[in-house]
Amino acid sequence: MLRNKTYPYYFTWPTLLLYAVFFVVPGLIGFYYALTDWNSYSDEIRFIGLDNFRTLFSSGENYMGYIFNTLKFTVATVVLKTVFGLLFALALNEGIRLKGFHRVMIFMPSIIPMLVVGLIFKSVLNPATGLLNESLRAVGLDFLAQKWLVDAHWAFKSIIGVDTWKGVGYIMIILLAGLQSISRTYYEAAEIDGAGAWHKLRAVTLPLLAPALVVTTVLNLLYGLKVFEAVYVLTNGGPGYATDVLYTAIFKEFSLGRYGVGTALSSLLFLVMTVAGYFVVRLMAREEAEA
Amino acid sequence: MAGGLIAGCGGGNGNNGGDNGGGNGNNGGSSASAPAPSTAASGSASAGGKKDVTLTYIASQGWIKDAEMQLAKKFEEETGIHIDYQIIPADQYFNVLKTKLNAGEGPDLFGGQSGKSEISLNYNVEKNAVDLSDQEWTKREDPLTLDQLSLNGKVYAQTIWDTSSSFVVVYNKKIFADQGLTVPKTYAEFKDLCLKLLQAGITPLYEPIADGWHHTLWFAEPGPQYDKLQPNLYDDLNANQTTFADSAPLKTALTQLKEMYDLGFFGDNALSDTGAESADKLASGRYAMSLANQSLVTDIEKVNPDLKATDFGFFVIPIADNQIYYINPGGPSKFVYSGGKHIEEAKQYLAYLAKPENLQYMLDNDPTVSNLNFSGLKDKYTDEQKKLHEMYPEKGTDIQDYVNYVNPQWMDIGKDIVAMFGGAMSVDDVLKSIDKRRADMAKVAKDPAWNG
Repeated sequence: MLRNKTYPYYFTWPTLLLYAVFFVVPGLIGFYYALTDWNSYSDEIRFIGLDNFRTLFSSGENYMGYIFNTLKFTVATVVLKTVFGLLFALALNEGIRLKGFHRVMIFMPSIIPMLVVGLIFKSVLNPATGLLNESLRAVGLDFLAQKWLVDAHWAFKSIIGVDTWKGVGYIMIILLAGLQSISRTYYEAAEIDGAGAWHKLRAVTLPLLAPALVVTTVLNLLYGLKVFEAVYVLTNGGPGYATDVLYTAIFKEFSLGRYGVGTALSSLLFLVMTVAGYFVVRLMAREEAEA
Repeated sequence: MAGGLIAGCGGGNGNNGGDNGGGNGNNGGSSASAPAPSTAASGSASAGGKKDVTLTYIASQGWIKDAEMQLAKKFEEETGIHIDYQIIPADQYFNVLKTKLNAGEGPDLFGGQSGKSEISLNYNVEKNAVDLSDQEWTKREDPLTLDQLSLNGKVYAQTIWDTSSSFVVVYNKKIFADQGLTVPKTYAEFKDLCLKLLQAGITPLYEPIADGWHHTLWFAEPGPQYDKLQPNLYDDLNANQTTFADSAPLKTALTQLKEMYDLGFFGDNALSDTGAESADKLASGRYAMSLANQSLVTDIEKVNPDLKATDFGFFVIPIADNQIYYINPGGPSKFVYSGGKHIEEAKQYLAYLAKPENLQYMLDNDPTVSNLNFSGLKDKYTDEQKKLHEMYPEKGTDIQDYVNYVNPQWMDIGKDIVAMFGGAMSVDDVLKSIDKRRADMAKVAKDPAWNG
C-alpha cells in the first residue's frame, strides 16, 4: 500500500463529524429510547428499563418467530447466493461466447429496485393467473403449480427465491473480480501435478478466493438480517404471520406509534448484526491466514 | 359501510369504492388514479378576491369520487384555490398518513376513517386536526355521523358518505332459481345452500382475502346480532366487563367463518383474490355470491351488458343467524391539519362541498351512492334496495363502530383470521389476540376502564 500522504489526516475530521452526528449519535440515542415507553399517543416519555425487551421475548408475542424467520432467510440467501454466484462466476470467467452479454443479463436484476421486482413477481406468482403457474399448466406440469405466495409452506421459499434471483448477479460480479485476480501460474502448476477440475477448484480457486468470499458473505449476511422490501411487497408478512421478519415487525411498531418497542427491536437487530458480522470476519480471516 | 372503518380498505369489491372501505374503483366513479397535477402556484393571483393557494389533500384510493373532483375544479374557478389530490394505494395509506402526522408534516387536508377510538388513537386529532364545530354544515350533517367524529364535544372532521349502504351478500338470482335456492334466514340454511352450489360445480362465494380487510367483515358486521344473543355485550366490552374470548356468540361467529373456509365456500384461490375483480367474477356466473357494497350490481352491468342490476338480489350476512340490518354511521372523512398553512382555505373548501346544491350534485353524479348523510337531500334507492330495507326492518350498529379499539386493529384482525384459516391460530387464539390489542390500546389511551 502506498504511504503517500497527499492530504493531512485532519482532512478526515469533517467527514467523521458528519458521520458521527448523523449515524453514531442517533444510534446511541436509540439505545436510550429503547429503554423508554416512547409512543405517538402521549407527549411524555418515561424510563421503563428492560420492559420493552421483556415484551419482545415473552411467549405471548410473535417476536421470536420473526427472529427465527430472519435467521432462516439470512442463512438460506447467504448459501444460495454464494453457491450460485460462484457457479456463474466460474462459468462466465472465460471460454464462453458472449460472456459479456451473459454477465450483464445476470447482473441486471440487481439494479432494479426491489419494490419493482416484488410487484412483478407478485403478478408472476399469482396461483391462478400468474405467469409461472400458467406456464407449468401449459406444458402439462400442473402438479408443480403451487400457491406460491399464499401457502404457508411455500411463501417463505418463494420470497427467498425472488431475493436470490435478484441478488445473485451482484455476488457473481464480486467473485468474478476475485477469480480474475488469481494468477494463471497456480493453475498451470496444479495441472503439471495432475490435478483435475474439482481438485483445482478446492486447492487453488477457493483458498485464493477467500478474501472475496469474506466480502460477499458479510454483505449477504448483513443484507439478509436487514431484509424488508422483499417481504413487505411480496406478502406483507402473510399468510397470517408466517413470513414476518424483524424489519417488517419494526415497521409495524413504528406505524402503530409504538416507538419505544420499535427502537428496542432495532437495537436488538443492531446487536445481532454486529456480533454476527464480527464472528464471520474473524472466522474467515483465520481461514485465510491458514490457507 | 361498516367495512368502511377498516384500515386499509383496499381494493373494495371492484366497484367504485362506493363502500367505506374505499375500493379500487375501476369504472367511472371514484378511483382517482392519478393525482391532479400539482400547480406550482406560479403566476400571480388573478382578478380581485381570488387567492392563489394550493391545498394538498391526501387520501386513500377510492375515497375521492369524480363528482368531488369536478366540484373542486369549480371551486378553483370561483376562488382560485387549487386542490392537489395525492391518492395513495389503500394498503399503504395509513402507514403514510401516520408517518406524516408523526413527523409533523401533514398535508392541508387529510382523509381518515371516522370512529372515536380511531380518530383519537390513530390520528391524535386533538393535536393534529382543527376543531370544526363552528362550521354551518355541522347542523345539517347526520348527528350519528357527527358523533363518530367528535371528542370532548368538538367536531374534528367532515363526512360526506352514503352511510345507509352496508355490505350485503349480493347473489345471482338466476343461479339461485336454477338450483332451487332461497334467501337464507339462518346460518344452517346458508351452509346448506352453499354445499348445494359446490355440488353443482359453482363456487358459492367470491371472497377477496388478499385485500387484507374484506374477510373481517363477515365477523364484525353481524355485531348487533351478537349483542342481541348476549345482552349488553357492546357496553360490557367498552367497560371492560367482558372480553371477546369470553363471549359465546363471538366464538360461534368465528367458528362458522372458519367452517365456511374449510368447506371450500370461498373457492380455491381466495387467499390471492382481490376486490378489483369482484364484478368480473360475479358476472362470469362461476361464482354465485359475494359480500359487497350494494353498488356492485351497477359494476356487474357494465362488465356484462347482458346482465341487469335486477338479476341480483341482496341479503344480510347470516352468521350466527343474523337477520339485523347492520349499519355503520361513519365513513371516510376529511380532516384539516392543525399544522397546515392554509387552514381557513381548507375550511372554505369543506364548507363549499357541504353546500346543499353541491351535495345534491355529488349524490346525483355518483353512481355508487344512493343517499348522503346530510338532511334535505333526495335519495336514489333502487327497487332492490327498497326491498332490502323492507326485509330487514331491525337495524343495529356493527361492532367496529360501537365497541372501542376494534377498528384501529382491523388489519391485524384480518391477519389473525388468515392465520386461523391456515391453521396456525385457533378460534380462541384469535379472540385472545383481539383482546390483547384492545388492552394495549386502552392502556396507551389511559382508558379508566382498564386501569382500575
